[in-house]
Amino acid sequence: MSAASNDSAARGADRLKAAPSGPPRPALRFGEDPLVWASWLYYEEGLTQGEVAEAMNVSRPTVNAYLADARSKGIVNITIAAERLKTLTIARLLQDHFGLEECLVIPGEGGERSLIDRLGAAGAQALGALIRSGDTVGITWGRTMLAVAQATENRGLKDIRVVQATGGTTAVIEYTPEACARRLAESLGARSIPISAPAILSSPEAKLMLMNEPVVAEQLAALGQLDRIICGVSSLRANSTIHSSGFFDSALQQHDHYHNAVGSIAGRFIDAHGKQVDGPLTNRTLGIELDQIRKVPTRVLVAGGYDKVPAILAALRGGYASVLVTDAATGEGILRADGAETEPSRLSRPVEATATFDTRSRVKKFINAPRDAVTQALDGALRAFPQFISPIEHSPQAIRATTPPRAGKVGLVIGGGAGHEPCFVGYVGPGLADAVAVGNVFASPPPDRVLTCTRAASTGAGVLYIYGNYTGDVMNFDMAAELAAGEGIEVRTILTTDDVASSASEDRAGRRGTAGNVFVFKIAGAACDRMYPLAECERLARKANAATFTMGLGLEPCSLPETQRPSFRLGENDMEVGIGIHGEPGVTRLPLETADAAADRIFDRLMTEMQLMAEDRVALLVNSLGGTPMLELFILNRRIQQRLAARKVAVSRCLVGHYCTSLDMVGASVTMMRLDDELLDLYDHPCAGFAWATAAP
Amino acid sequence: MHAIDTPFLLLVFRTVARRLEENRDALCGLDGEIGDGDHGTSMANGFAAIVTALRAPGMAEAPPGQLLRTASMAFLNDVGATVGPLYASALLQAGKVLEARPDLPLSEFSAFVAALTDGIAFRGKARAGDKTMLDAWLAATHAARLQESLGAPPADVARKAAEAAEEEARATATMIASRGRAARLKERSLGHQDPGAVSAALILRVLADAVADTMGQGR
Repeated sequence: MSAASNDSAARGADRLKAAPSGPPRPALRFGEDPLVWASWLYYEEGLTQGEVAEAMNVSRPTVNAYLADARSKGIVNITIAAERLKTLTIARLLQDHFGLEECLVIPGEGGERSLIDRLGAAGAQALGALIRSGDTVGITWGRTMLAVAQATENRGLKDIRVVQATGGTTAVIEYTPEACARRLAESLGARSIPISAPAILSSPEAKLMLMNEPVVAEQLAALGQLDRIICGVSSLRANSTIHSSGFFDSALQQHDHYHNAVGSIAGRFIDAHGKQVDGPLTNRTLGIELDQIRKVPTRVLVAGGYDKVPAILAALRGGYASVLVTDAATGEGILRADGAETEPSRLSRPVEATATFDTRSRVKKFINAPRDAVTQALDGALRAFPQFISPIEHSPQAIRATTPPRAGKVGLVIGGGAGHEPCFVGYVGPGLADAVAVGNVFASPPPDRVLTCTRAASTGAGVLYIYGNYTGDVMNFDMAAELAAGEGIEVRTILTTDDVASSASEDRAGRRGTAGNVFVFKIAGAACDRMYPLAECERLARKANAATFTMGLGLEPCSLPETQRPSFRLGENDMEVGIGIHGEPGVTRLPLETADAAADRIFDRLMTEMQLMAEDRVALLVNSLGGTPMLELFILNRRIQQRLAARKVAVSRCLVGHYCTSLDMVGASVTMMRLDDELLDLYDHPCAGFAWATAAP
Repeated sequence: MHAIDTPFLLLVFRTVARRLEENRDALCGLDGEIGDGDHGTSMANGFAAIVTALRAPGMAEAPPGQLLRTASMAFLNDVGATVGPLYASALLQAGKVLEARPDLPLSEFSAFVAALTDGIAFRGKARAGDKTMLDAWLAATHAARLQESLGAPPADVARKAAEAAEEEARATATMIASRGRAARLKERSLGHQDPGAVSAALILRVLADAVADTMGQGR
C-alpha cells in the first residue's frame, strides 16, 4: 500500500504543478488523500469507477483498490438501516430454526397501511417469486389470504390453475374461500377451480355423498395435485375473527375436543405441536386435508400479529410451511416463544457479566430468616418511630398512626407489599394516611389485614383506599372493601396509575402505580385532614393521580430476601427502561447512557404525556429505587431541572431521596405532578409521617 | 364408592404443601423472569398455612366442605398477594360444591376440578390464553370432562387432567401475558412459562397421584 500511496502522492504533486489548466486536483478538503477523494467522488458524487479514474487521472483498477482500501480503513462505512437489518436477521434465524426454504420478514412499523395489507403485499411478492407457468396453486381463506390475492400481479404466466382449498361458505364475510380463490385467479390470469360444495356439512354422510358427486370429486382431485399452496393460520383466541367469521358453526366453542387446538389452517385444527385435533367437525369439513397440505412441494404461510404467535409456531412445528411470510415483531415473538436466541447484537456485545453472575450470584443481606424479614423490619420501624406509627392489635403488618383520626374525618388507608420502604409505612401520620396494611415482599396484604386497618381508620365519615394498580392488590383490597361494606363502612378506592411506561396514554387506567403514590397520598391525606367530606377527598385524590406521571430506569436488578439472587439479569452495558418497583424487568432494554442522556430520555417521555409549557408549575420527585445514592440522584435532578427551566416550567416543590424503593435495585425514577393552586395548597398542608413531615408554614 | 372426602383432601393438601416447598426456589426463579419473583414464596407459604390450619383439633373429622372453607381462609389471610384471592376463591367454590354434595364420588372428579377452576376464573377475570394459572386449570377441566364423558376410570381421568395441565403450562411459553405484572412485558413474556400455570400443574399432578393411590388402595 505504501508504494501506491507514494505513487499517488507523486502524481498529486504533478497535478499541483499543472493546476490551472490540467486535470482537476483534489480539493483542499480531501487533504491530498486519494482514498478520501476517490470515496467522495464515488459514493457522494455518484460517479462510476471509470469516471472517478478519469477525474483522478489514475487507472480504473487503482480506483477499485482505493475504494476497497477506504472500506477496510473505515473511511467508508457501509450501514444497513437498523430496521431493515433486523428483518433480515430475524428472517435468517427463522429460516435456520425451523428449517424453512425461504423466509420473508417485513418491518414492524409500516406507517399508514395495515399489517394485513402489508402482509398481503409481501405474500404476493413471495408467491410471485415462487410460482411458475403450468402450476396448480391452492389458496385457503381469510383476511390475509384475500390481501395476498388482491396484491398479486399478473406476470404473464401461462396455464396456472388456482384451486379453492376448502368448500365454500354463505357467511357474510368478504374473505370467503370462493372470494380468495377467484380473486387470486383473476390476479394471475389463471383458471379458477372452485369447490362446489359447503366447507362445513350438516353430517359426515352428507360429506361422503358430496365427495362422490363427479363434479365435486374432480374439483377435490385438483387439491391432490397442488404444486404450491398459500395459506393463512387463524388464532383461536377469543378475539380472533375466526369466531365471528361465521365459517364454523357453534360446534367450535361447545366441544371439549377443540380445547387443545391453538390454530386453524384450511378449516382444520392443530394443537401446539401442529398435530391435527379431531372433533365433531373433522368428518363434516370438506376441503384439503392437513396431510395433503404437508405434501405440497411449496407451502407459503402468510401470517402476522402477536395473537397468532402460538398458531404460527404450531403450523411451523407441524410442517405446514416451507416458506414463511410474517412481520418482524411476530417473527421475533415466534423465535422467543420457541426458546431461540433473538438478540441480534449478541456477538458485538462486550462480554456479559456471565462469569461474575455465576460465581457471585448471592447477594449479601442483613436478614435472619427470609420468612421473618418483613415482620422484623416493621418491628424495627415501629421501635424507631413510635411518635408516628403504632401496631394495630399487636400485628406489625397492620399499622396505624399513633395519633388517632379525629371524629368525623375521612379515614385514609394505604398499603401494598413490603420492599418499597419508606413506602408505605413512612406516609402514616397526621396529614397523611391513618393506617397501612403491609403484605409480604412485593405481595399484596390479605383482605383481613386491610379490613383491620379500615376499622382503625374509620370514624364514620367513610374511608379512602389508595394503592398502586396491581392485579393482586386490587383483588385483596376489593375483597376487604366488600367486607367493610358489610360492617357499614363506606369505602372509596383510588388506584394510582402514574407509571407512563406501563401502558399507552389511551390506557391510563391500566397503568401501574409507582413513586407517584407519594404525591397522591400527600394530597389525599391533606384533604382528609381538612375534614373534607368523602366525595371531596376522593375527587382530590383522583385529581392528584391524574396530574402525576412517573418514569423509572433500572441499572441493576434487586434481590429478594427469600432468594438473595438478582431478580433478573442485566448485561453490564444495559439499562432497563420503564422499570417498576417490584424488581420486574422494565418495558425495554437499551444500552447504558450517561446521566444526562438518561435524564433526557425520562424527561422527554414525561413531556409527551404532560406537555408542560411556560408558567406551568410542578412538584418534582427524583427517587432512588433503593441502591442509587443521593449523589447520583442530584446529578439527575440537575439535568431534569435544567430541562424544566428551558421550558420555563416552575419547580414549585422538589423532593430528592429514597421515597418509594424496590429493595436494593439500582435505579431511579422521576415523578412530576402538575400543580394548580388547589393542589399546591394541599401539598403545603402540614403533615407528620416519618418519611415526610412538613411543619405548618 | 370412593369419594372426594376429608382424608382425601388432607392427603392432597399435605402433599401439595411438601411439593411446593421443594419447588419454592424454582417457582420464584420462573416468576423472576417475567414477574416479581414471589410466586414460589406465596404458594409454599400459603399451602403451609393451610396444613397448619387443618391440624387444628376436629379438622380430621370435619366435613369436606368445611375443610375447604377453612383452607380457603387460611391461605388468603396468610399470603394475600395475587394467588391468595385466586386460590381462596377456588377452594371456596370447591367447598360449595362439596357442601351440596358431601359424598361427591371420585368418578365425578371433573366437577371438583371445574369448581376450583370456576373460582379462579371468577376472581381473576382472566381468559383462556392470557398466560395465567387459569390456562392450566382450564386445560385440566376440559381434559377431565372429556375423559369422563368417554367413560374413563377416575385414575385415568385425573392423570389426563394433570398431563393436560402440564402440557398447557409448557404452552404458556408461547403466549403473551395479558394479566398481572407480566402483562407489562408484552411480547417480552414470550418464551417464559407462566409460574402460576406451572404451580397449577404441580397441584393437579398431586391430585392425580392421590386419586390413583385412593383407587389403588381399595379404601
